[in-house]
Amino acid sequence: MNDRQRIFALARRVFNGRFRSTRMYIMLPILILFIPGMAWGFSDPDIILPGGHQPDSPMEVLFYASLGVVFGATMCAVLLAFDGVSKDRASGVFELRLAQPMPRHHQALALLFGTWQAIFVPVAVLIGLSVVLIRYRLGEWAAFGDVMVHLGATALILYWYVVFTLLASSRTKDQGTAIAFGIGMWFLFTFLWALVTTMVAYASGVAIGEQNDAQWVALEGAFDLLSPNGVYHHLLETRLVEIDRGISDWQSWSMAMVWTVLPTWWFIRRMDELQP
Amino acid sequence: MQLKGVTFRHKVSSPEPFRPWKKRLGPGVFEVSLSLHKGEILGLVGPNGAGKTTLLRTISGILPIQSGQFIQGDVEQSQPLASTDLRGLVGHMPEQVRWQGQQTVHDALMELAEMRGATEKRVNNLLKLVGLSERHDTSLSGLSQGMRQRLTLAASLLGSPKYLMLDEPLNGLDPVAATAFVNLLHQLKEKGVSIVISSHQVEGLQAITDRIALMHRGQMLACGSIESIAKSLDLQTKINVSGEGPAPDLSWCETIDSKVEVDASTWSVQLLDDGTTTMEMFLEKGIGIKAWTPQHPGIVEMLCAATGMNIEEVGLDIASPSLLPHRRVGGEEE
Repeated sequence: MNDRQRIFALARRVFNGRFRSTRMYIMLPILILFIPGMAWGFSDPDIILPGGHQPDSPMEVLFYASLGVVFGATMCAVLLAFDGVSKDRASGVFELRLAQPMPRHHQALALLFGTWQAIFVPVAVLIGLSVVLIRYRLGEWAAFGDVMVHLGATALILYWYVVFTLLASSRTKDQGTAIAFGIGMWFLFTFLWALVTTMVAYASGVAIGEQNDAQWVALEGAFDLLSPNGVYHHLLETRLVEIDRGISDWQSWSMAMVWTVLPTWWFIRRMDELQP
Repeated sequence: MQLKGVTFRHKVSSPEPFRPWKKRLGPGVFEVSLSLHKGEILGLVGPNGAGKTTLLRTISGILPIQSGQFIQGDVEQSQPLASTDLRGLVGHMPEQVRWQGQQTVHDALMELAEMRGATEKRVNNLLKLVGLSERHDTSLSGLSQGMRQRLTLAASLLGSPKYLMLDEPLNGLDPVAATAFVNLLHQLKEKGVSIVISSHQVEGLQAITDRIALMHRGQMLACGSIESIAKSLDLQTKINVSGEGPAPDLSWCETIDSKVEVDASTWSVQLLDDGTTTMEMFLEKGIGIKAWTPQHPGIVEMLCAATGMNIEEVGLDIASPSLLPHRRVGGEEE
């Protein structure tokens, strides 16, 4: 077995452990409610959104339904990964892992991929189901490119939350602190980020929440690059020509790369230094 | 394998008003030199916080050493070992692994086996060896403490290690399992595996080890056979003498080490061993002896003698890590 095979073998075991865990059975109804449920709701031909807007293309429906990923799937990623390191570390099993000759950065990669797969696989299946539901409700298939971007962006946001949570988990030894770190981070990016953006806008003299104010839109767009949820929406907006927040496609994808590479590097480095 | 001046000290928090994140080097192991011989069992003994677990972890390649080196091979063809080399050579059995979850015993061991490149056949053989083959498909949460200990032992034997580090291996094992475990250690020893055991069950340890190493406050105080350490610490063998009838007058005896205890119709006394001279004097004076039992110095006695601890005075107190006698020549005291 070479190094790559060993990483995949360990990732598969991590995936099996997480995917068949009790918490996955508990989270599955939440994911079903949030992802295909939202796609079903937003693809209602008679729906009128609070702003008076009516989603009229499959990609637009997928874009609105991505709220299910932001609110539901990311939370599930946190709940799935929060004890990825801390539980084994507290129980002593982690010491046994560290005593194996498999390099620690390989162990870190296997843990990342295995945990990420465990949340991405059900979410991807539910996104597929959403596409079918949208076709049923709107009578139109989403374009292949749109679905691929949606899947890719979703894969990335889930990966980011898994990395952050595992990183937090590697900093703690007890489960309470580990979950507090994970949920705190989710809460920051999902709810508090709007507050941070608003405060910066206020301090910069920008009219807050004024959707027709170019300054506000530009500031919100730029600030969103500093949040994983914001980058996720920027990635989805690359397929919606009518939305322009002053951020070009290459900037969105570059930030996605940064959000992927930096935390991964940090986690691998952390694992290299970690003590039982 | 040889350890030459191996040092690893944990970083401990030492906040200052303007540097709350500041850390300093705290307890650990300090300039430990030790040889591990093929087919030998070495017992690691020391009070709580002496650095036994830290030393086992450094030898296992889990903790990166800050100075010193590990050397394998003879002096002429020696080569320093990196952490990854050590992890390939050493099997490590941590203290009290609390296996839990829905994963089965077989899967848990397979996971570690894949990380080490061991085969499924090896896993099944090890499960049989530690008596868990019947529990092959049991979930980890369903294991008793003793079974968890057996599983940890199996995990440490994956990959046929040349060196085996065992941290409190007898904890949680029933007496029969403990005896079987000791037999297994002897088998491994015969196969040439070098074994290091850290245990608080010192009396049991004395019976199975070839050498012992005394540790205190992160430093190696003495290492060798029990006899050689006793000799270097100037500890003498004592003799428990007892007899029937009224207590004899032993005022003539120069090697007497305790008062003569009288209990109903028997008496007993402890003497320092001086060969056969005292026994001959007893016989000459016509003192009837019921039992003459030599009592060799125990590990506890050696530990107390080496560390300056006194059981009556110390009680359950743990030595403060702040009292670590680490002092750099010409540098600040830590």
